[in-house]
Amino acid sequence: MSNAAAIRPGRPALPEWVRRLPEYLMIWVPLLLSAAHLVSFSLWTIWISFTPSTLIPVSGWVGLRNYSAVAASRNWQIAFDNLLLFGSAFVLLSLVTGLALAILLDQRIRGENVLRSVFLYPLAVSFVVTGTVWSWLLNPGLGIQKLVHDLGWTSFKFDWLIDRDMAIWTIVIAAIWQSSGFAMALFLAGLRSVDTDIIKAAQIDGAGPIRIYRRIILPSLWPITITVVVIQLQFAISTFDLVRALTNGGPGIATQLPALVVYDLMFQRSLLGRGAAAAVLMLLILLAVLLPYAAWRYVQRRRAAHA
Amino acid sequence: MPITTTRRRLLAGSAAALALPAFARAQGAVKPRLTAISQWSAGSDGAAITALGKKFEEKGGVWQHSPVPGFTTEMMNKLRAQIMAGDPPACSQLKGPEIAAWSKIAPTVDLDAVVAAAGYEKVVAPDLAKLHKPGGKWIALPLQIYSTNMLFLSKRAMDKAKADKVPVTWADFNDLADKMKAGGVPYPVANGGTRPDDGQKFEAALAGISPLAYRAAIMKLEKKALEGPEIKAAFAQVRKIADWMDPNVGAQHFSTNLKRFVDGDMGMMIMGGWAQGVLRNAGFKFEDFIIAPGPSDNSKPVFLLNADAFIFWQRKEPDLQAGQTLMAQLVMDPAIQTMYSQITGSIPVRTDVDLSGEGWSDGQRRTAAALKDAIASNQAVLSLAHNMAQENGMTAAMIDVITEYVKNKTIKPEQAATRLAEAVEGAR
Amino acid sequence: MRERTFAPSRILIYLIVLLIAAAWLAPLAVVVLNSLRSNEEIAQGSMIGWPQHWAWSNYVAAWSGFCVAETCAGIRPYMLNSALVTIPATIFSTLLGAVAGYAVSLWRFRGDTWIYGIVTLGLFLPQQMRLLPWTIVLRDIGLINTLAGLVLIHTIQGLSFTTLFCRNYYVAIPHELIRAARIDGAGFFRIFWRIILPLSPPILIVTVIWQFTHIWNEFLYGVTFTSGQQQPVTAALIALSAAVADIPQHGVQSAAVIIAALPTLLIYLLGGKYFVRGLTAGAVK
Repeated sequence: MSNAAAIRPGRPALPEWVRRLPEYLMIWVPLLLSAAHLVSFSLWTIWISFTPSTLIPVSGWVGLRNYSAVAASRNWQIAFDNLLLFGSAFVLLSLVTGLALAILLDQRIRGENVLRSVFLYPLAVSFVVTGTVWSWLLNPGLGIQKLVHDLGWTSFKFDWLIDRDMAIWTIVIAAIWQSSGFAMALFLAGLRSVDTDIIKAAQIDGAGPIRIYRRIILPSLWPITITVVVIQLQFAISTFDLVRALTNGGPGIATQLPALVVYDLMFQRSLLGRGAAAAVLMLLILLAVLLPYAAWRYVQRRRAAHA
Repeated sequence: MPITTTRRRLLAGSAAALALPAFARAQGAVKPRLTAISQWSAGSDGAAITALGKKFEEKGGVWQHSPVPGFTTEMMNKLRAQIMAGDPPACSQLKGPEIAAWSKIAPTVDLDAVVAAAGYEKVVAPDLAKLHKPGGKWIALPLQIYSTNMLFLSKRAMDKAKADKVPVTWADFNDLADKMKAGGVPYPVANGGTRPDDGQKFEAALAGISPLAYRAAIMKLEKKALEGPEIKAAFAQVRKIADWMDPNVGAQHFSTNLKRFVDGDMGMMIMGGWAQGVLRNAGFKFEDFIIAPGPSDNSKPVFLLNADAFIFWQRKEPDLQAGQTLMAQLVMDPAIQTMYSQITGSIPVRTDVDLSGEGWSDGQRRTAAALKDAIASNQAVLSLAHNMAQENGMTAAMIDVITEYVKNKTIKPEQAATRLAEAVEGAR
Repeated sequence: MRERTFAPSRILIYLIVLLIAAAWLAPLAVVVLNSLRSNEEIAQGSMIGWPQHWAWSNYVAAWSGFCVAETCAGIRPYMLNSALVTIPATIFSTLLGAVAGYAVSLWRFRGDTWIYGIVTLGLFLPQQMRLLPWTIVLRDIGLINTLAGLVLIHTIQGLSFTTLFCRNYYVAIPHELIRAARIDGAGFFRIFWRIILPLSPPILIVTVIWQFTHIWNEFLYGVTFTSGQQQPVTAALIALSAAVADIPQHGVQSAAVIIAALPTLLIYLLGGKYFVRGLTAGAVK
């Protein structure tokens, strides 16, 4: 609108930047606010991690003492190992589950709408609630194991929830239940946007469904897979409510995760400095994962530009 | 903590046993008002604080309670946010050593005058009183007491074991558990699986074996006591208890298994006095179970104290100050404590309240008697599992070791004792 | 591969899909069943079970009866609070994210990749870490204990997701379209209003669903930055799940959970189709 007015001759033109002020404001204010809060909050946390803060933030300098205390604690070590295991298992399995569900739903089955809703609904409900329900379902004395025993198969065993080594897998199960619907939706979107002409051509050439999936459809899902991995990774790293409601870090401290340790240190143990150090370590883990991704994107874009 | 002289004079005035509403009216000005934060929102906790609020209003006050549902941590987040914003509540729920810790980050109210006027100090257990007057002045007031090591016995399990004697020492306890097992009780010890649950088993074991060692190791964190034989013995006892528990419980709340306990599939439960209220609210009968003090090897009751309290934050507004005085008077009032405890199933903080009348249960009477005996023999100690013995950071570090030990049977008692001492060092 | 017959392979597919669907519904079934059992029945039996007496009264208690401390109005007032935060925050973050995504994808300005990169990193910053900084910010701008403060938090935090998804969607819009409009003299806003917005419903539905459910289900900020009567619905739900010293009111809580989840469930039920369609067009880049 302002542009149109500006070209019209015979009217004093306002300086360019004044004319475009509203759009600058609209673009920059939200983005800057968002970026500023992220950068300043991160810097603030880094600062706090070097202070002796306990109940409330205080200034002071303790060097790396908070970091060494966190790194030396069993809670953090267990949480770190768990994050590696949980993160990779969850991301991988939710990819597979999501893809499987998407392929199943793509078979032109009746009631697709209803089924899609069934797989998506866990996203709609708070984990504070569903985590508790899962803690009953997975509890050997209350849930699935008891049900199977009552049906007569008394040697059946499913007690991961109380098994130190397997408990982390119960969190994987509940997390997959919650979020693979999202992966499904993304993959379904991908499957639906594959060019049908190519598929028809392949069919005419006598390719079977499995071959078509392997050669044509799945390779085209590659970009979506990256999106799914990023989203699920974010989910894995910030997993909190689920663990708190399902195992609360137990049995013992076997299912600690970094987000839990951060919250526990900062607010439950009132050790803000240490909690901040744990948060910074978490951010470093994150960067270790994201930087390669960013580099990969960069290389890809460069290649695309050259091609 | 500092407080204005006018306010001190005000308090001194009210110390002349004046009922505050009359006093406030005499001042002609303010209607007492109280802003309060607590996590007590539902069930009997919610009902009790609501009843307290009603009393506050009956005395002419304005009651502004803001419950923060959930864990204590969320309540503390809220409190921290209010303090950082320079707007603390006139009073808030806080307990144990956290009172001392938090009193360092914001000014609190000096309650010495009101406490003296009520003659409160001599009716409060000494260890408990100390917690509420860090730095020598009363800044917080305990509201109700629970024992965390009451022993609940299932009548049906006792029948199965053909036993009728309530165990007094840990040896008796172990005997009875063996008998129950032999008599067909699958799990002689009933339990939940939360962190405080595991912590309670350890503190009950150690305090029952030696209240002296408990005091030295857990409350005073003496290195020698932490490495002493009593700690190892306590861990060994906890292992026995853990072996009698249902491993399937996971991280469930203890109330999940109440039916199995009443049915006699589980025999004994070491739980806080609140469990009787929970049993009653779940619709079970008092005839179904027996309540006794937790095992004590010297046969005299050991009482693990858990007390809820209110801390009072300094405010400039005259109506809030008047509200704080009124609240303090109410909290110390025997009638109010009676009302409160009868709703929640706890016992009054005041040791001079008569529990023989209507409205008290046998369990509460036994708990109160145990407290009196324990104080007399210096065996009333502060609960670790419920954040009474140490600040939250230290408590959590110790419970980490205990809960891991309960859930992991490959850890030896000696190992656990070493880890506990290390955890204490790490958290100092 | 996509013909509709009833060959054994199709039956197998249906069988598998239905089995998985049943597993997916199991937790919901537990909650629905518990919502129809009385608190006592659950306490005296098992957490999972078939109702012996249909306790429809749970729903009445959940909607308008149960007490959170002094307030005995059920979940109703808390639903309203949550709506007062969720609806404006969802609208603001979606609209601002759409404009930002449009600017980043189609206008290209200096520093856009950087700022976009930082904003999307926000997806990964754990919210436990942001709690105290937000406390300080809200204190300094005087919005502590106001619903407006919560709206602000969720709008700014939500921008990470909405900008990311809108940008990915708008990148696919042919640049020629924009160029032509600019030659015709259309400016930033006119192009957004006339060309971009009409193309946007699929992706806006995605961001609305995402934002709405996340904000609706949020608990930590909701209880920390409100007081008393302003608390969100999640706080009321947690209040029912009991302290250590009390019996959880599972029956009423389950009913309250169902009621509290209705808005988000409805959004997924009604919007699920568009969700996939929006993603098809959007996040796939």
